[in-house]
Amino acid sequence: MSLTDILEQFAYIANNPNAILKKYIEEGKDVIGCFPIYTPKPIIDAAGAVPMGLWGGRITPTFAGKYSPVFTCSIMRSCLELGMTGRYDGLKAVIMPILCDTFRGMSSSWRAGVTDIPLIALVHPQNRTDLGAQDFLAQEYLSVKLRLEKILNREITDESLHESIKKYNYQNALVMKFSKLALNHLDVIKPLVRHYILKSAQFISVDEHIRLMENLIEELEKLPEHVWSGKRAYFIGITAEPDELLQLFDKYNIAIVGDNLAQESRQFRTDYEICETPFWSLSSQWMHIEGCSTVHDENADMLEKFIIKEAKECAADSVVDCLMRFCDVEEYDYPDIAKCCEEEGLYCLCLEIDQSSEDNGQTLTKIQSYSEL
Amino acid sequence: MTEQKAEKPKRELPLSRQLVNKQTEDVYASAWAAKEKGESIGWSTAIFPQELCETFDVPVLYPENNAASISARHFGNQFIEHAEGEMKYPINICSYARLNMGMADMMKNGKFEGVEPAMPLPTFLCLANNSCTQLMKWYENLSENLSIPIFFVDCLFNYNEEEPDAYKNKYVRSQIENNIAAMEKFFNKKFDWNRFLEVQRISQVNRKLFNEIVALNTRMPAPLDGFDLFNYMSCLVICRGKESTTEILKQLKKEVEEHIANGTSTFRGTEEYRVHWEGIACWPNLGFNLKTLRKYGVNAVMNGYVTAWDVAYEPGDLNGMAKAYQCSSTNSFSTPSIMDMRSKSMKKFACDGMLCHVNRSCKLMSFHIFTGRDIIEARNKIPIVNFDGDQSDTRVFSEAQFENRLQGLVEVMKENKGGK
Repeated sequence: MSLTDILEQFAYIANNPNAILKKYIEEGKDVIGCFPIYTPKPIIDAAGAVPMGLWGGRITPTFAGKYSPVFTCSIMRSCLELGMTGRYDGLKAVIMPILCDTFRGMSSSWRAGVTDIPLIALVHPQNRTDLGAQDFLAQEYLSVKLRLEKILNREITDESLHESIKKYNYQNALVMKFSKLALNHLDVIKPLVRHYILKSAQFISVDEHIRLMENLIEELEKLPEHVWSGKRAYFIGITAEPDELLQLFDKYNIAIVGDNLAQESRQFRTDYEICETPFWSLSSQWMHIEGCSTVHDENADMLEKFIIKEAKECAADSVVDCLMRFCDVEEYDYPDIAKCCEEEGLYCLCLEIDQSSEDNGQTLTKIQSYSEL
Repeated sequence: MTEQKAEKPKRELPLSRQLVNKQTEDVYASAWAAKEKGESIGWSTAIFPQELCETFDVPVLYPENNAASISARHFGNQFIEHAEGEMKYPINICSYARLNMGMADMMKNGKFEGVEPAMPLPTFLCLANNSCTQLMKWYENLSENLSIPIFFVDCLFNYNEEEPDAYKNKYVRSQIENNIAAMEKFFNKKFDWNRFLEVQRISQVNRKLFNEIVALNTRMPAPLDGFDLFNYMSCLVICRGKESTTEILKQLKKEVEEHIANGTSTFRGTEEYRVHWEGIACWPNLGFNLKTLRKYGVNAVMNGYVTAWDVAYEPGDLNGMAKAYQCSSTNSFSTPSIMDMRSKSMKKFACDGMLCHVNRSCKLMSFHIFTGRDIIEARNKIPIVNFDGDQSDTRVFSEAQFENRLQGLVEVMKENKGGK
């Protein structure tokens, strides 16, 4: 498969989740919807089902207003709309980690508005330094497994869980390898291309994504190194969408050299430890997550330090904060991030992201101004 | 020549209110005294296990309660503006948080000018996220800006309607125990378990007394204007484990029983309609809301917010205490759970309607209102109206919209009563 073919596949997957869902259903596979950001996907894979990310879409919700206030983040509002209007039909269940107040509300809104797709909710322990935290999470993940077994009417064995955990760790390693490799090929791995490669993992099985990533890395390694002379941005936030936003970066010769986006690298950065019991392995990942607004860290400045360190490691000259409108957890962290970037000599560009808005005028001006610096 | 209006003589506050004011002054004074002596001072979220610091006898103040007081006195805007301007916090986050983080920053930088009630800056923070997740982010930011530690009890959201599983209580209990150990080190004091038991006992006496008082408002007409309950909330928020609260609540209960015996009420006017108020008060607009409700003969006899501090457990039972803190706040429950409570309460209080504050600052309470509406309409068959507002940000509330929505509610309630 040529590099062009591989990249086209990533683009197709990232842009057509609904078609892929239908394909899986036609093939007789069970598909489980996964709300952002941290769902125990190996449990789903070990059950022989496909985990599929639910990240909303570019729509203007109308029905979702019945069960969610207008100041709900656009991802959750559009997910609810898509659920209520049948676009997610065929999902056997959805898994929702209650990571913020919107999720607290959404857990009831989903059950009220989308009555035919059962919800499996879970809570992560935020006081991670407490000795009881990991034990609690292992039990919570066990509870997710039991609820999923009941819905799918099949047993999920410890052996299959161990296997799936290994697969997800391998996928992490591949994505991390790709991210480094991409720095030598920024002429090919343009902002939108990079986005598709990472986002596509949300909509296909881990096995399929692993195969595609292996092919991609093989092809990239054949290419001569490219020295990038344009600007270098490190992206943070929930998602860097829509496509037009990333095309603007391309237009102004700005490469994405790394990211801490919830939809992209944050999904692959933290491995599951290999432990005796699968639930201890699964829970270990959460205990080690760094640099995420939805995860409490005892060191109050951990997030800023993490972002600065990562941005500098990939020689970024700016941090682009894709601030999801009404995402309060990220909004609380923005001022300190902006301040730290300034102190560290990194240009900080804040772009408001809203899936239901078509207005890119302000974003264009901000990116233009940055490119002219 | 302009005619000068004679100033209305101020009504004398009932003794119970005078005692509340004195108690609050004393709590703030003890915190300032601790500051003078260079001792520990805490800032705490409203439903943190207060029993811990009360046992250690360390002064604690409550930023949510403080933000409400400052907003009700119309002093909040300067702090909110500082948070949004100089500090760059987005307008979408909770206004209590913006107000408090703005105020803390101004205090830290010597820009704070005598706004009452003024809190001294803390040396530690107590965080329980049973009310919401934003509290966690708010306190993370305070911790970073002030370089002080957080004592954290992660209370876990109850996404199902069943009782919390044992493994969840175990985690919450583990945190309470580990916080006690960490506080012993921080305060350099031994935790007195006998005193702890006594504080637990007092806390239970107080919450029961408050429940008894609230239940007296089931009488028709109600002996209390429902908004009066907001005035006594501070007893439970900032002094739930103190004996002074027991004295205040006993006095209040006596006053309410006198109203019942005399056939009088603190509700001024005739109680034509009884409604349930859903959500936090619009503190900057409290006066307008109260007057407008009275104008239409509407008594908000009950609201769910004042019952959030009903943290019920048996003294000496740490598992029970852990569970109680996990299941205390409106925002720690799913919508079906909370609406089940509301539905029963509205039947008990014979409510003719439900008036819901879609609070721009409180996402989850607003979600409950949107998703819970169908449940209440189906079970209670009473009209429900929403209005937009905020607990502290004065830019959200519209007097015209509030009155207009209330008029609509009154019309339907009137019709339901046969046009009377």
